[in-house]
Amino acid sequence: MRIAMIILYLVLAPLLGGLLDGIDRRISARMQRRVGPPILQPFYDVQKLFAKQRIVVTNSQTFLMITYLVLMVFTGCMFYSGADMLMCFFVLSTAGIFLYFAAVVTDSPYSYIGGQRELFQEMCCEPAVLLTGVGFYLLEDTFETAKIVQADRSAIVALPGFFAAFLFILTIKMRKSPFDESTSHHPHQELVKGVTTELGASNLALFQITEWYENILMLSVIALFIINKNPWSIPAAILVVLAAYFLEILIDNTSARMKSGKMLELSWAVTIAAAGVNLLILILVR
Amino acid sequence: MSAKFTPKETIRVIEKDGLLREVMAMKSRGMRLSQACASYKDGKYELSYSFSDDETLDYETLRVVCDLADRIPSIHDFYSCASFYENEMRELFGVKIELIEPDYHNKLYRIKAETPFLPEDAKAEQKKQEQEISLSGADSDLDLAQAAADEKLASGKKEEK
Amino acid sequence: MEEREKKRSVVPFGPQHPVLPEPIHLDLVLEDEKVVDVIPSIGFIHRGLEDLVKKRDFNEYVYVAERTCGICSFGHGLGYVEAVEKCMNVEVPIRAKYLRTIWSEMSRIHSHLLWAGLMADAFGFENLFYQCWRLREKNLDLVEMTTGGRLIYSVNKVGGVLKDITPDMQKVILNNLSELEAELRDVYKTFMTDYSVQERTRGVGVLTKEQVHDLGCCGPYARASGVARDIRQLGYEAYGELDFEPVVSNDGDNYARCDVRLREVFQSIDLIRQAIAKIPNGELSVPVKGNPDGEAFIRIEQPRGEAIYYVEGNGTKFLNRFRLRTPTFANIPGMCETMKGCSYADIPLLVVTIDPCISCTER
Repeated sequence: MRIAMIILYLVLAPLLGGLLDGIDRRISARMQRRVGPPILQPFYDVQKLFAKQRIVVTNSQTFLMITYLVLMVFTGCMFYSGADMLMCFFVLSTAGIFLYFAAVVTDSPYSYIGGQRELFQEMCCEPAVLLTGVGFYLLEDTFETAKIVQADRSAIVALPGFFAAFLFILTIKMRKSPFDESTSHHPHQELVKGVTTELGASNLALFQITEWYENILMLSVIALFIINKNPWSIPAAILVVLAAYFLEILIDNTSARMKSGKMLELSWAVTIAAAGVNLLILILVR
Repeated sequence: MSAKFTPKETIRVIEKDGLLREVMAMKSRGMRLSQACASYKDGKYELSYSFSDDETLDYETLRVVCDLADRIPSIHDFYSCASFYENEMRELFGVKIELIEPDYHNKLYRIKAETPFLPEDAKAEQKKQEQEISLSGADSDLDLAQAAADEKLASGKKEEK
Repeated sequence: MEEREKKRSVVPFGPQHPVLPEPIHLDLVLEDEKVVDVIPSIGFIHRGLEDLVKKRDFNEYVYVAERTCGICSFGHGLGYVEAVEKCMNVEVPIRAKYLRTIWSEMSRIHSHLLWAGLMADAFGFENLFYQCWRLREKNLDLVEMTTGGRLIYSVNKVGGVLKDITPDMQKVILNNLSELEAELRDVYKTFMTDYSVQERTRGVGVLTKEQVHDLGCCGPYARASGVARDIRQLGYEAYGELDFEPVVSNDGDNYARCDVRLREVFQSIDLIRQAIAKIPNGELSVPVKGNPDGEAFIRIEQPRGEAIYYVEGNGTKFLNRFRLRTPTFANIPGMCETMKGCSYADIPLLVVTIDPCISCTER
């Protein structure tokens, strides 16, 4: 069973991630009163990127990007094989470090500042992500995802604050306005393309694919809040995930980009207020 | 109906040596430096410094008519924004304005040709006039000040190295 | 480049940068993300247009003057022909003056909406950018209907105008403007009241009234800091017969500048309505005989501020000198002043907030 889940994740995650990306671009375009690209456009883009001539600033960049991809995939596989969730989150942070290295190993000022902002973003997301793991532990006495999905009740009933905090930092993780600090899907920010400025051809394609894996993983954590041992919870989880995704697109199209300092303030404030209060309640109720 | 303005628009010819005094008078009256430009006419430069009064919209232009090799002092001490105009006048027309701060050393517009707005015969005339001045050995205060500024720049560059 | 002892880095900003509408190069000295010093350099788009007066006679030169810039093109053509007309003592018919006023205001609307879109893009709100430019398209449709071109109007000539705005066209203009105004209210509301937008614009790039005066800034940039002057108050063209007050704000930050420019769009719509209501019948142009001799200074209010046109004739059909001092030239010192001590994320905003038109600046 575990092997089946891992293989499903390995194969389906990039396909679903790319499809969701295409739908995102289409819906955003319609919100902006434009026509928008075809839904399969992200796949065409990645295909084109792989076909381009490889020019890298330093060869170590390729190794670092491959490591980033491998670690991200590994995290997802761990998550889907039912392993320890906290371990997954730590490996996720480690993967992020490799992206930082890939950015700073070039001497480009935009890439360098983008890398610094990437670390800053990690710092904003970490509390909510770790607290999510802690919340599940307090509720189910385990970090293992395999056991959490067998719970009697959906976790969200007892962990609404953790859910809210995680949903908030999802905007940061998915690189959407107002928190698309280190790199954005639109190149008109002051850092040009930030962390991905010096990535090109196959390295940029690897970045894109890793983003899809990461998005699917994040959405899976959202689903984990909903899934319980009742099989009807699975379609319910899918609906919630799609609703959350749509919410992200809506927020992206209705807000300007905030500065990094503000991002830190808001993300920690929401985490402490929502997840922190939820945590206290859980501890008291135990 | 909105307020009506009947501003005075004047062009006043002044001597090159009186430029700084006139500009100081403009500054003390609270006038804003609107523009500064150069023109070449009949073998001489015509420099126009235009000042605007933001309350009454009056417009006064100081006109300096000078020879091709005359040295003109920079007015950036009174109006810091003058430096762009003066750099431009020097680069395009070859007007000898000195002590500009910051000095772009004729690289403001990155043009390949030198003083492109000045006709060829005027360039030759300018060189001739410069030679006459250096032969006569006239050392103005400006000369010394410019030499001091150049030296400071050179020594600053040496320190950085 | 990094000096490890001081932890400073120099980031080259421009000339090619997605956020810049036109090429300008800034060397920004950063400590972490704080800007310590700015060294601007221009010169990427200098075409020496002012020298072409020697090769194009004074009638033809209108077309060159218009092509100084795509955004403020009508204003440049207008300023040039006004300067030549003043030099030659030509009195333009009253209908032509009204037509020029209407096109001038249309040019202002299009320019401010373009700027609003760029501003939204600079602070990362792409959706708002698209909405602003969509409104601009409505305005450009009007321009195309009346002049035949979208950006380069080519309707000015020495002595008057080349085309007319018929009563049918006037009806279409009024309808179109009403629609534009209604949609603009939503855009204005977003700029002024949205939380994330205010985060980026309030308190950023503040210039006091005294600083603005010392640095020689003009136009909406100065009016946002409390300087209540608008060159249209001189009453050139038909402005003397229209009713308006300069749009002023006192805060002097980016928020105030957004406010001033967007309110000016509403003001322009109102001015066009007034002009269309009052426009008299008459000739479109007068014949011009002879050649310009003498000199003239003309000031007009371009969308970006005060533009000065100086023309010097010498009795031949080629002018001796044409000088165009654009508002961005005067506002660049103000821009550099606001950049010192700001955070790097604000740099695109501070560049876009002066409404830079570098091709005008460099000619």
